[in-house]
Amino acid sequence: MSPELLDSILEGRRSQPHQLIEVLHDVQEHYGYISEDAMKTISNDLGVPLIEIYGVASFYKAFSLKPRGKNVITMCTGTACHVRGAKPLLNQATSQLGVQPGETTQDGLFTIEKVNCLGACAFGPIVTENGDYHHDMSPGKLRKLIKSLHPTRTEETSHD
Amino acid sequence: MLQYVNMKIDGGDFRATKGSSVLDVAIEYGICIPHLCHVPNLSEIGACRLCIVEHVVNGRSKVTTSCTLLVKEGMVIRSNTEKIKKLRRNIAELLVAQAPNSRAIQDIAVRCGVKEVRYPFRNENCVLCGRCVRVCSELFGAKAIGFVGRGKDRRVEPPFGVLSDLCKHCGTCIDLCPMTFNPCEGYMKSGEEHLCGKCESQMLLADNLPESCVWCELGEGFQCSRY
Ligand code: SF4
Ligand code: SF4
Ligand code: FES
Ligand code: FES
Repeated sequence: MSPELLDSILEGRRSQPHQLIEVLHDVQEHYGYISEDAMKTISNDLGVPLIEIYGVASFYKAFSLKPRGKNVITMCTGTACHVRGAKPLLNQATSQLGVQPGETTQDGLFTIEKVNCLGACAFGPIVTENGDYHHDMSPGKLRKLIKSLHPTRTEETSHD
Repeated sequence: MLQYVNMKIDGGDFRATKGSSVLDVAIEYGICIPHLCHVPNLSEIGACRLCIVEHVVNGRSKVTTSCTLLVKEGMVIRSNTEKIKKLRRNIAELLVAQAPNSRAIQDIAVRCGVKEVRYPFRNENCVLCGRCVRVCSELFGAKAIGFVGRGKDRRVEPPFGVLSDLCKHCGTCIDLCPMTFNPCEGYMKSGEEHLCGKCESQMLLADNLPESCVWCELGEGFQCSRY
């Protein structure tokens, strides 16, 4: 993680504690997660106690405290998506990638996240891939989607 | 100069200092409103909900926590109605189900009239009262611990889960924590938790004088601010 980038994020916001959420959003966006070191620097530069930053960062689902994969697959398991078949989708993703929700594959390519509603219930079940919405998902479509994001694995598993 | 307001609690007239909370007034005048998260000189966060009272406005009553309710001229409060007693008993019941292995929580449950626990025991070692967090940041300015996570994952932790040198090892958080004393008969193993209830005799006097402080020994057990 490059200190210059964090520096530029903090630029013009130093000693302004109320900028905390904005700074965390930017760090999340540019680094994919919020590291301990980043939190310490932010604490120093904004003048916010470290425990407060840790409390805020751990409170919101939008922030991740662990490094996330290159591709983030977000599965909606809200009520509407649940009745439209979110469960088999989740099974598809976890078995295909071999990790549970909240975890990242060893090669650092994929993270599976689970959320409670993505605000598009009528088009469910919904899966987003790096922020892009995919509606009316089925396990088959999801398998192809994950494959398409994972060229090397495509070779190994494309015999089916 | 101190300014005063006149208010009514349970029918009695009281003169209270402006800026104090209804709970402060009750404690000062010896009206029993059980409370757990309130600690004198720390901010009020209304976490435990035990100190609820009825606040009567225009003939309608609203249930709210007295520790976060500031006194106002002409205010009418009822602290001991059947409704309040029932709600308070239920809150205490939930608390003791959450943390049966604390003498303080057991005492508070008895003081609030809990006779049986209808919820599954969880045996947690924290009730999220926030006493430790507030004393650490407000009195000592150390800010070494805080609330982390949310919902059912909410817990008290130092940053990143490891104690750093922000902590001055003053030990006040531990002194104030209601979890630091086991029930008199010792630690209850999981599956064996129950409501102790051996101190129910303490309630004999209290039941006869429902609104007033009788210096119950239970209060000593849960660090009631009257002590
Ligand atoms: S650790 Fe103790 S004092 Fe701190 S919030 Fe939990 S129960 Fe309250
Ligand atoms: S000491 Fe007992 S009776 Fe007195 S206010 Fe506290 S809890 Fe109530
Ligand atoms: S429940 Fe899935 S988008 Fe609302
Ligand atoms: S003392 Fe008022 S909510 Fe805990």
